[in-house]
Formats: sequence, structure tokens, C-alpha cells
Amino acid sequence: MGFYVLSYLCIAVFIIATGCLIYRQLSFPLHVRWEIYPVRHETIARVAYGGSYMEELNWWEKKYKSSLINELKYMVPEILFLRGLWKENRNLWWLSFPFHFGMYLMIATFALLLLHAFFTLWGLPVFAAGGSVSILLSGLIVVTGWSGLILGNIGSIGVLYKRMTEAELRNYSSFGDYFNILFIFLFFLSAFITCLFFDPFLAGAKAYTLGLLTGGHSLNSYMPGQSVSGSLAIVSASLLVAYIPLTHMSHMYMKYFLYHDVKWDDAPNLPGGKIEAAIKNNLKFKPTWKAKHIEADGQKSWKDIAAAAPKEMK
Amino acid sequence: MNTSLKPSDISKPSDCLCHIEPGELSLLPPPYEDFNQTAIPPLKPEKIKNIEASLDDTVAIGIPKPASAEEEKELVHQFLGGLKKLFEKENNWTFLQPLLLSMEHCAKCQTCSNACPVYEMSGRKEIHRPIFRAEVLRRIYKKYLKPGGKITAKLTGDIDLNWTTIARLAELSYRCTLCRRCATVCPIGVDNGLINHEIRKLFSQEMGIAPKELHEKGTVQHLRVGSTTGMNPLAAKDSAEFIQEEMEEIAGYKVEIPWDVEGADILLLHNAGEMLAWPENVGAFAIIFQAAGISWTLSSEAAGYDAVNYGLWYDDVQFSRVAVKHADIARRLKVKKIVMGECGHAHKALTVIADRLLTGDLNIPRESAMVTLENIVLNGKLQFDPLKNNFPVTLHDPCNMVRSMGIVEPQRRILRKIAPRFREMTPHGVENYCCGGGSGFAIMSGYNFAEWRNLVSSRKKFLQILNAFEDEPQDVPKYVCAPCSNCKGTIRDMINYYHAEKRSGLHYGGLVELIVNALAGMKKPIIRFGEKPSWEL
Repeated sequence: MGFYVLSYLCIAVFIIATGCLIYRQLSFPLHVRWEIYPVRHETIARVAYGGSYMEELNWWEKKYKSSLINELKYMVPEILFLRGLWKENRNLWWLSFPFHFGMYLMIATFALLLLHAFFTLWGLPVFAAGGSVSILLSGLIVVTGWSGLILGNIGSIGVLYKRMTEAELRNYSSFGDYFNILFIFLFFLSAFITCLFFDPFLAGAKAYTLGLLTGGHSLNSYMPGQSVSGSLAIVSASLLVAYIPLTHMSHMYMKYFLYHDVKWDDAPNLPGGKIEAAIKNNLKFKPTWKAKHIEADGQKSWKDIAAAAPKEMK
Repeated sequence: MNTSLKPSDISKPSDCLCHIEPGELSLLPPPYEDFNQTAIPPLKPEKIKNIEASLDDTVAIGIPKPASAEEEKELVHQFLGGLKKLFEKENNWTFLQPLLLSMEHCAKCQTCSNACPVYEMSGRKEIHRPIFRAEVLRRIYKKYLKPGGKITAKLTGDIDLNWTTIARLAELSYRCTLCRRCATVCPIGVDNGLINHEIRKLFSQEMGIAPKELHEKGTVQHLRVGSTTGMNPLAAKDSAEFIQEEMEEIAGYKVEIPWDVEGADILLLHNAGEMLAWPENVGAFAIIFQAAGISWTLSSEAAGYDAVNYGLWYDDVQFSRVAVKHADIARRLKVKKIVMGECGHAHKALTVIADRLLTGDLNIPRESAMVTLENIVLNGKLQFDPLKNNFPVTLHDPCNMVRSMGIVEPQRRILRKIAPRFREMTPHGVENYCCGGGSGFAIMSGYNFAEWRNLVSSRKKFLQILNAFEDEPQDVPKYVCAPCSNCKGTIRDMINYYHAEKRSGLHYGGLVELIVNALAGMKKPIIRFGEKPSWEL
């Protein structure tokens, strides 16, 4: 039961930490525009060369258009396949891609395991043992699981080796950076050994996931601790789930905000709109910068200060 | 290649953290091999004895050395106070979210390094990696501002904070042109250019430290006198009168430059540097607008005849003051829109950044002159004879106008119509390289900074220009079209520095000069290679 409790706690930490990360992003004051082109939600014609709506005569008289589909067309391959790295840093891509894609495949495997557990719990006839749906799902779990583990192990060793041996990476790496990779490698390695020697068809993983949905009370649920590597895989996976949102590794999904909220935020401030209202609020902030030319005293607002010329030079 | 330097080394006192030896800079092709052994001229000891100059071979700011250990301690304390404010919404609502996202999610993969022209051209010197200064700030932030940071620093990356660290970091923030190529290639979306921008802000807004060309002679003079050039309104009007006379003399075209026309369709904002250094640009705009029957005006109010906003590069408050001033002038003139002349950073400052600052009746529509001109040139309002521009032309993309605004094609559509021998640089458009004068470098020349710029930060652009014309004979005059005053100034300086007019036939100028040169019916060409204009004689 201790394993299940650990997993629940770690999942709870993940949800809370990720929720906090996202809430923080949503609660920041509106920042000034700092987009960089190509902005991917522009029309396909403009995205091709990096153009913007500001290329149009009297652009403010036209409706501002932003295509989420165009954004996702770029963002999804970027997140899944690290397209930017492929284009700009190919040597690193060969190692970083299996590392990241291995993790994505493990997430996909977990999603399939959850699906399998739901079907089992519901006892749907279409999912009867030996049925085609059951076989297909089990097959998919084996394929994604094994692929993820192989890629993840190769990728972990690869990025670790590269970071240790190349000065330009090593000189900027801290203990924490190596620890993160080793932590992920520990999971990949322990899960790989478990599958290789004890559980090639991921039956244990299926049973453990079922146990997660039933508090470990289902008859079919897995009793952890049958192998050291299996236990280590469960513990390291659980801890990793909790750990990732607490580190810079949350870039896997926080990338969305870096792109959507900064790099591609070109929304114009139109009279009477939401953006204008947010700016008016921002201009009420009272800065305390100390350089004399700022002339901030904690009482004057940004609006007051911006409307006055400085009396002091420095 | 010096790859042994680490971010933590910035705090270790030495005479020079990073020195470039002759021959270490990226190689230039013939006939410029003689510059391959050129070193940055050493700083004169008597000039730097009282200022901080221990970063590298040049000085951008010239921070006075603290007189005592107490003063050093106080400056470190001030720095930490400013750093804290960068992460507070009251003080930094302008960039808080982008800054935190970039501070917290870098994977240190170094993809940004290969995109940086300064890093590449410097001979891949460690301090010029985009991540170097960002990582220094990140480590200080984590160690000194995060709870328990002094303990966790051993795990997350340690650094000592002393006056050496701070003085070098301030200088180092003026070795990046803020071209943001690094941000374009980052797979995560981290923007090391932005972090550099925030470092500059910290020093200016909290400690009053900034290059005098940007602050005292820049934004302060702009707000007090009316222009960063020092021109007051009277002098600006005198310049315009001179330009009118010159245009009649040079191009045989009588032009009237309208001032303070209330209710005009367009308020045209020029970089005032054009009036002094390239009056033909101001004149060419006037000719085009007049010939096309546009309703337009210039403003003679202080700051209204100078589009620049140096605050964009180092200080949000100074930026806001200048932007509000520009918008208020347009509001009182009751113009329909502001058109930004050929000045890249002014484009981005007033059109993009100030967009989240100006509200109500200050939010006057702003448009790039590239767009206005495209409409005039392509809609048949004027007749052209492209063969008048029958010489090789290439286009420089100002980073602020192109990568930061997406104004890419209008200027190209114009050139395709009026310049039959137009060719692109490689790469171009949003992947362009900075001229080397970005973020204020074009106007900074104290100590030996101009030499550093010509040798290091402009080097990539110089190579690009040479490559664009490599199929042309040496003696054929070639035109580098740079629709941005600061880029133009930088390209002028690089052409002079490398004797490239003589060795490669390189000339430079803006876009409007090419348009006027191709106008059918003009009595005389405005572009005359090899002839010095009257204001330079």
C-alpha cells in the first residue's frame, strides 16, 4: 500500500505544482509586447516569410485575426519532435530527441494503461479477454512502453555523456543538471530491467495502474515489491512526476507560455478593449526604482512618472 | 578558442577577463586579409585608471571605480535591491512574465550560441555566448533572492557576488546588440536578449548606470532639448529649410516640407540624425509624399521631430516618457496616423512596445513608412523608370523592423519594382544578421568602442554584404539599402573602416533615395556614386 500512497502523493504534488505554475502565468500583469517573427498564428502566407498584420496599410481598420490551428501546427511538432533543435542544433537533437520522446512515450504508455484499467473496471463486453480491442490495447501498451524505454535509456545516457564531455555544456552545468538526468535515467533503467527480466508484456504495469484507480483493493491489482527493479521503477516514476514541475524541466509544457504568451503575443491594443483596460491597471502601479532620474517615491504611479520629464540626470 | 571560462569566473578579479588576440576574430576574405591580424586598439591606461575596464578589450559605459570597500559594499547592496525589483509587478510589470519564463526554463543546450553573430565573430569567446550573462544573472538571482539560495547554490550553480561581478556584468550587457537571433532559435522559447535588456534596466533604473550616449546625451537630452542630436526646434526647422534648398539643387525638384499642419493625415516621424547626417533621406520622403499628393506634416515641437527612443534599449521609464511625448504631440496635431520614417528601433518602440502603454486618445494609429511607401509605389500614383537604378542593390533588414515587427515584404516589393539588380543577402528577412550597431552601439563611440564594433559586432554584416555582391566586379558601384538610421550609420562606419568603397565599390543609403532616384521625370539623379554631397564638403 505504501507504493500506492507514494504515487498518490506524487500525483497530488504534480497537480498542485503544475496548477500553481499555470495560475501564476495567468495572474501576471499584462506585459508589453515582445513578439518575435514568424508569429505562427498569422496567416500561412505570412508565416512562410515571417510577416505580420502590420504590413497592411491602415492595419487597425481591419479585424485582428489569430489562428490557434496555425499555432498548434507549429507547436505540436515542436514539442513532440523538437523541430527547433533539429534545425538549429542537429548534433544535440540526435540525443535530446530520444530522451524527450522516450518520456513522451512513457506518458502515452501511462495514458494507455489508464484506459486499459478503466475498461477492465467497467467490464465492457467489447473489452472481454481475448477480444480484439483488448489485444490491440495490450499490444499498443507493449509497443509504446518498450519503445519509450529503449529511447529513454539511449537518450539519458547520451545527454549525460554529452553534458559531461563537451566543455560548452559542462561549463554551464550544475550538480542539479546532472542529478536531473540521472534521476530520469534511474527510472528508465529500472523500468527497462523490470520489463526485460520480469514483465515483458507490462502485465505488472497494467495491474499497478488498475490498483491506482482502486486504492490497491482490486483483486487484479499489482502487489509491488515483487522485484527490486520493479519497486525502484514505481518509486522513481512517482517521484519524477512530483519533481518535474518543481524544476526547469517543466519547460516540456511551460513552453506553451513561452511561445503563446510572449514570442507570439502580437495582439494589438484596440480602443475600449480588454488590453486597454489591463494597461490602465498597470499604469496605476507605483514603482520604487531608486535612480534619481526615475523620480519614483512610491507614491507616484507609472502614469504620473511617464507623463513628466526627469529633473535629475543620473 | 577559450572554452575554459565559466560563468562563476566573472567574479574573480583580474585585469582582463577576455582578451581577443590578433588573428582570433573570424577571417575576412580578400581583399580584406590585412584586417585579419588587426587587434582592438588597447585602452590607454591614463584613460581607464579610474573606471572599470576589466571585462575585455573595450569599454562601453566607463563606470567609476568605487573609492572604498564601503562604497563597493553599498553598490552591491544597490544591485541586489534593483535585482529584486526586476521580479516585482509594481516595478517591472512591463516584462515580468517574459523575464521569469526565460529565467526559469533554460536547458543550457547552447543552441543560442551558434545564432549569435557577436559570439561567432569574436572567435567564439565565452563571454559572448548569449547564455553567459544570462546564467550569471540567473545564478545571482537564485543564490541571493530565492529562499535558501545560499545553500542550494552549491547544487544549482554557484557564483560570488562582489563589485567585480557587478561592474563586469554591467559592461557585458553592452556587448549584445539585442538582435534576438538567439531567441528565434531557442527550442524552448527562452530569450537571452531579453535577460540582457533587463540587466541594462536594473543598472539604469536602480543605480543610474548607463552609457552617456544613451542616457545623458540620449533620452535626457531628447526630453530636455528636443532631440538626441542636440537640435532644438529652431535648428530642426533650419535644417529642413536647408534640405529644401538642397533637394532643388541636387534633384531639381522644388519641395515644401510642411510643419505643424493640424489635421494632416500623416505625422511623419524621422530619426533627427537623418536631418544632420543624411538630409537627402528627409528630402526624398518630402519629394515622394508631395508628388503622391499625401496630406502630411512634421512636428516642430521638442521631441516631435526626433522619432528615436533610446529608452527601448536600457530604461522602461525613459522609454515611456519619450513614447508618451510622441503620442501626445500627434494627439494635439489631430493627425490620423503616425508614420515611422526609416528608423528601425523607433518603429518597434512606438508601434509595438508602446502599444501596451498608450491608452485613450494617446493611442494614435502607427504605421511603418515601408507600408505607406509601398502603397504609393505600387498603386500607380507615381511613374518610375527602374533603369535609373541599374546598379547592384542589396537590402539590409533592420532587426527591430523585421524580426521584431514582421515588416518584411513591403520594402522588398518596392525594390523588386524599382531596382532591377536587387539581390538578397544570405540569410535575410527574419533570419537576418544585425548590422552590429543595434541596441545603441551605432551611436556609442567612447574609449575604443567604435573599433570594437567595427571589428566584432559589425563583422558578420560586413561579410554578408560582401557575399551578396561577390558576383560583381570590384569597380562596379554597389548599393546597400538600409532603411534604418542606426543601421545606416553602422554600415557607413564599416565601409569607411574597411575602405570598402575603394576596395569593393560599396555605397549605402536608404530606401526612399532609391525610390526618388527611379522617379520618372526627375531632372537629376539623387544617388551619385563617388560624389560627395554638399553637406559633407
